[in-house]
Amino acid sequence: MQKPKLVYSTFIRTTPKELWAAITKPEFTRQYWGGATNISDWKKGSKWEHHFEEEADPVFIVGKVLESIPPKRLVISWATPENPKDKSRVTFEIEQVEDMVNLVVTHDQLKSGSPMTKKVSWGWPRVLSSMKSYLETGKGLNIFAGRKKR
Amino acid sequence: MQKPKLVYSTFIRTTPKQLWAAITKPEFTRQYWGAGVNVSDWKKGSKWEHVFEDEPRTVGITGKVVESVPPKRLVLTWAAPDKLADRSRVTFEIEPLEDMVNLIVTHDQLKAGSAMTKGVSSGWPRVLSSLKSFLETGKGLTLTCGH
Repeated sequence: MQKPKLVYSTFIRTTPKELWAAITKPEFTRQYWGGATNISDWKKGSKWEHHFEEEADPVFIVGKVLESIPPKRLVISWATPENPKDKSRVTFEIEQVEDMVNLVVTHDQLKSGSPMTKKVSWGWPRVLSSMKSYLETGKGLNIFAGRKKR
Repeated sequence: MQKPKLVYSTFIRTTPKQLWAAITKPEFTRQYWGAGVNVSDWKKGSKWEHVFEDEPRTVGITGKVVESVPPKRLVLTWAAPDKLADRSRVTFEIEPLEDMVNLIVTHDQLKAGSAMTKGVSSGWPRVLSSLKSFLETGKGLTLTCGH
């Protein structure tokens, strides 16, 4: 069965540098990603972690930086700490288009029907919408709106 | 070969009524949808047209209103005026969620690899991004319409 590949293309009135910073710098990320941050030195080969600082167990996602070309391209592997070998891959492509940026996020190498696939299919539209609101209006969205408590 | 189905889900800080108005009222639509506006009485069975208002005034897309449940659901058929038999379908679903709205646009019944499919695959992310910017900041994005 073909592995699912999620592709999200959005246009944001911002600059590539600001968008890169929003993804990679915790002081910005936590303002739109529901309080979560992405922790890494963002060098190829380095570890990266997705943290929810308010949780008792803050590390939610782990992986490696596969490619890093600031501010144009970032590719990371993506897995839970409990199942680090069950890896998928996220690519951020940032392209300047006139006075905007086209951000294309591809999440592939997922397992069809898995809880992770369902979670990220639910999450990416919310996170990316919130990111756009943050960059254009200074305020993110409540990405957890309507979700049942875990 | 399976017919392509494009699905776009976006969350916008607005109300269902404002979102419905942005899609259906030319005075709003022209502020974010490039040079085009959507013209119809939006009643089930009525005609609708996507009209380019620059000179000369041209109809870019035409179709019928299949379902209309303001401000929650709008389903239209979609075809180029010179290729009416080549119809696809667009569904707008508008769901309120706290202080936001989740807009899900589904464009299906498309022909795999056709010029229309390529055009709308490239167009929807731009139009929907511009729609969100318009509703949240008062200003749409720069859209160059390829017509």
